[in-house]
Amino acid sequence: MAAEALSSPPIPRRLARQSGVLLATAARHPFSLLVSLALLYVAWIVGERIVSWGIVHATFVAADRSGCDPAGACWAFIVNRLPQFAFGFYPEAERWRALLVVLAPPALMLLAVVPEFRGRRAFITAGFCLYPLLAFTLLAGGLPGLSAVSTEKWGGLTLTMLVGMSAFVLSFPIAILLALARTASLPALRLVAAGFIEFWRGLPLVAILFMSVIMLPLFLPPGVEAPRLSLALAGITLYSAAYLAEVVRGGLQGIGRGQYEAAGALGFGFWSMQGYVVLPQALRSVVPAIVNTAIALFKDTTYVMVVGLFDLLNIVVAGLSDAHWIGLATEGYIFVGVIYWTICFGMSRMSARFEHCEQRRQPAGAAAGASQ
Amino acid sequence: MSEPLISVRSLSKWYGAWCALDHVSLDVEPGSCTVLCGPSGSGKSTLLRCLNGLEEWEEGDVVIGGTPVAHRTRDLRRLRREVGMVFQSFNLFPHLDALTNVTIAPRIVGRRRRTDAERAGMELLARVGLADQAHKLPADLSGGQQQRVAIARALAMQPRALLFDEPTSALDPESIKEVLDIMVDLARSGTTMVVVTHEMGFARHVAHRIAFMDRGRIIEMADPRSFFAAPASDRAKAFLGQIRATDPA
Repeated sequence: MAAEALSSPPIPRRLARQSGVLLATAARHPFSLLVSLALLYVAWIVGERIVSWGIVHATFVAADRSGCDPAGACWAFIVNRLPQFAFGFYPEAERWRALLVVLAPPALMLLAVVPEFRGRRAFITAGFCLYPLLAFTLLAGGLPGLSAVSTEKWGGLTLTMLVGMSAFVLSFPIAILLALARTASLPALRLVAAGFIEFWRGLPLVAILFMSVIMLPLFLPPGVEAPRLSLALAGITLYSAAYLAEVVRGGLQGIGRGQYEAAGALGFGFWSMQGYVVLPQALRSVVPAIVNTAIALFKDTTYVMVVGLFDLLNIVVAGLSDAHWIGLATEGYIFVGVIYWTICFGMSRMSARFEHCEQRRQPAGAAAGASQ
Repeated sequence: MSEPLISVRSLSKWYGAWCALDHVSLDVEPGSCTVLCGPSGSGKSTLLRCLNGLEEWEEGDVVIGGTPVAHRTRDLRRLRREVGMVFQSFNLFPHLDALTNVTIAPRIVGRRRRTDAERAGMELLARVGLADQAHKLPADLSGGQQQRVAIARALAMQPRALLFDEPTSALDPESIKEVLDIMVDLARSGTTMVVVTHEMGFARHVAHRIAFMDRGRIIEMADPRSFFAAPASDRAKAFLGQIRATDPA
């Protein structure tokens, strides 16, 4: 068999050149060809049904369920409710504010994958860092020109975006401090950091959310009332910080002693050494893991429904029980799935793009610099 | 004789029960080039690393420019700025290009303006023959080029002395010459240098003084001519004999 294959390479090779490697492989492996054809057939059947249900027979405009073609999807439900799914119960006249909050993160992510321009990185970094503060201020209002809107009214994709992005951005500095403390030379500092991380990482997010909403107010001074949203956000942030701290610690461990020595010998102090030499390298090397954490966190924000917040998933689920649109769970969940998937895919592309650009800046020999 | 720039007085260091440095004393005059040599494990790198506080020691003093180096103080940072260090494995910052490697310390530690630091940095890169490589990352440079950038980086803080810890040991023969040429140039222009090296050619022709170390002690201190012509101790004789056996030049 092997000799035969060796003596007759031209035929498969020509085939490969003409019709692609796929066909050549198929010709040499008839069983694989059979399996491929069977799978293609299955894909056709499934795909055809999806297109027929989701597009061909679908209804996009209708007043209620009865106006929808029963053979296809009833997207009219989504279309009618879209403003609510996007902005929750935010007052109609002020929805531009919520729209800005929803669109800012995708816009920043888009900036990360378009071609390079001057100051791009600084702009994107500043955008993400300021997002929690700006988004909160914009939504809450209470400033001249911006009327105050209570957090009870925030909801839908706006809330999901706000909680997901803010928790991630706010947990980042905490995670870095925790990771540095955990690798510090002072045992007390290490102990405190490890204890904190283990505590928050060992609890289910649902429990953390209940705790932050029910127990945190007990610790607040009397008379001070924090909205449930802020309490939940605080819980998620600490939870995320614990996970992220371990990721950052992984990056820190990859930095060789030689880098610390070189920076020390140049007169760098602790913070400038971390800021200019250690962290830039450590964080770069764990970008995939950071994005992984961010994606997981973004999806975990759906748990805020247990404390009665109406994030995207919860508000769609609530809409499903509307008497005019009864029985449209499939459409509702597909819509939610597509939105989450799109945002997470965006994050993943951003990370891939960054990795591609930064490959050469990775430390070559991580353990360089050991001398006798 | 002028006041020594670096003065080591009866320095001792142990790793557990093992004595790495045993009451070592050494004075380095300003503008001089001192070579520390000796068999591996003799404590020469440890001694060098004590000179800018990379290692801690148990007994004795290191005095630089009249100020003792003390650990866990702000003084240590100030002193480190005055003593540059070149490492065996270069230890360039891999995420920064050559010019930024050279300018980052003056900008961040020395608080110089970016434009000033970059002008000075380009001059230093030109001095080590790498002006055309300024915007390359360390990964894109050869070993010799990386070590030359590392020398420029150490010079950028305008140190009063430069320490070299086996600067050519990780290099191929061609790169060794590139780096040695720079070091010869520095020594001839009156830079105070302390060099740990196995390059006996450099020691013989460039050094003002040779300190031969063995088992944590400086057992011989001489000018190169008398050291190479007639080493006083048996251990130095044996050491030189071994070097000659492997390197006929």
